[in-house]
Amino acid sequence: MAKILVVADIKQGVLKGSTAELLSKAKALGAETAVVAIGSNIESLVPELVSAGSDTQYIADDAGLELFSAGPFATCVVEAANQFDADLVWFGFSESGKAAAPRVAARMDIACATEIIDVNLDNGIEITRPAIANKVLQKVKVNTDKLVAVVRAGAFEADESVSGSENVVKLPAPEADLKAVIKELLSDASGEIDLADADIVVSIGRGAKDQAGVDLVKGLASDLGAGFGSSRAMVDGGFMAHNKQVGQTGKIVAPTLYMAFGISGAIQHLAGMNGSKVILAVNKDPEAPIFNVADYGIVGDLFEVVPVLREEIKKVRG
Amino acid sequence: MKILTTVKKVVDVELNIHVESGAIVEDGLQYVINAWDENAVEAAVVLKENNGAETTLVSLGGGDMTDIIRKCYAMGIDNGIHVDDPALEKADSSVYAKVLQKVYETGEYDLIITGKQAQDTDSGQTGIMLAEYLSIPCVSNVIEIQVVDDGNIKVSRLGDAGTEIVEVALPAVVTVSDSINEPRLPAMRGIMMAKKKKIETTDLAGLGTSYDEVGGNALKSEVVEFMKSETRQAGQKFEGDAAELAVKVVDLLANEAKVL
Repeated sequence: MAKILVVADIKQGVLKGSTAELLSKAKALGAETAVVAIGSNIESLVPELVSAGSDTQYIADDAGLELFSAGPFATCVVEAANQFDADLVWFGFSESGKAAAPRVAARMDIACATEIIDVNLDNGIEITRPAIANKVLQKVKVNTDKLVAVVRAGAFEADESVSGSENVVKLPAPEADLKAVIKELLSDASGEIDLADADIVVSIGRGAKDQAGVDLVKGLASDLGAGFGSSRAMVDGGFMAHNKQVGQTGKIVAPTLYMAFGISGAIQHLAGMNGSKVILAVNKDPEAPIFNVADYGIVGDLFEVVPVLREEIKKVRG
Repeated sequence: MKILTTVKKVVDVELNIHVESGAIVEDGLQYVINAWDENAVEAAVVLKENNGAETTLVSLGGGDMTDIIRKCYAMGIDNGIHVDDPALEKADSSVYAKVLQKVYETGEYDLIITGKQAQDTDSGQTGIMLAEYLSIPCVSNVIEIQVVDDGNIKVSRLGDAGTEIVEVALPAVVTVSDSINEPRLPAMRGIMMAKKKKIETTDLAGLGTSYDEVGGNALKSEVVEFMKSETRQAGQKFEGDAAELAVKVVDLLANEAKVL
């Protein structure tokens, strides 16, 4: 039986949905599961980690782990992987995961794969992942006995019926990285909905033009309780924060509904959102590439469309 | 300060990619400098302009790299090294990182700047693995680099909880996001000068290593098949009166797609 260690995705003390998704997939593969949770004051998360589907919980809880530092984070993962004798170590799709996974692989001298969307354990380890800005998929054969992988957002679904059992193992606090010291964290605005978790994501592009456009579409996002994202143009224009950028190099999202306002649909943007279940696009240009991936498209000016859309949505959602 | 940047030649993602019998159809493909590496080159040149630095780029792999190296010269890079070894064609991130380790060890660099990932593989592993193999610090997904003094830099990194300000002791590896800068378009004078500059060409033996030593004969993973990506079909597109369309589309979202 394969052993799969999932690295808990914890953001500001909250366990993110990807942890349950990865554990559900591990259970579906018939694997023995463990989770490693790394942070400060996180022991209270144990019941959630159990119900998410882990059979062993490795906990690295230390004040020094409050702010993310990739080196010590990787040290904790390697420690848990060795203790558990994991065949597969899975990270959810996060900046922490992307930074730590190659370190873990280098230290354990095993293969590393990022953005995986499927895994097959029938004959050794084989994974599937997109490449070339999502234009192709590649099947990758793993030649080492073990694999570290970052799982792409939305690849696996959580199974509510899955559960685990409590078996807590405390890990020693790792040594701090004295050569890369985090001095300050400029926190993202609190109370905002995390793009990675949002059921609905509302995004704006160049067509929103200015602050008035941003505010208009943001109103719709808050009506819907949706995550509020952006194309690169509005980030470069200084209207949206870097962490709101959806795309190949920014956030990769796969919500139930993605609403694109004034986004033309550059290949890099599409690579970050074309896994969404349903896509609505509003754009003045009927030839905009975004319409090639949209389930529903409105050719029109977002300044005219958004206000009426808000009214109609309010009527439908009550 | 001595800065090393890495530059990869990758397939142009703006063009259509066709897959046949498990492989990418080479016909019609074009190759360009990896966009994130262009950000890395720009970052190196900005540091050179503001703080003084000697900038060197290295490009790995067989084939002609003259065009991309000359482009980087025109942007302001001082030296170019091409590790021209056809054996590297099938290399994985770990092999690339081990070759870069050899390059680093021949040059005594203070700072290595790479793109956060390559457009062809989207892996984002090489720079981070290189730092691990060298036992030096690494900060990934960086959007700002400031020089503190000869031995330290301060970088801003886009992390999960916000922007992390990290002080880093040199030597170090930094992998950059495209948010860090807008790469310059080289001026004509730079382009003309670049044509005269030499490109140092070497191979694995020239670096004092072999394909076997860098792990090329024991790849940790290899691509066995390419497949077409599941492409979305264009759905229904409406034109006309905004108010009427809003009613129609909201009805479709609520009752057909059932996502509202």
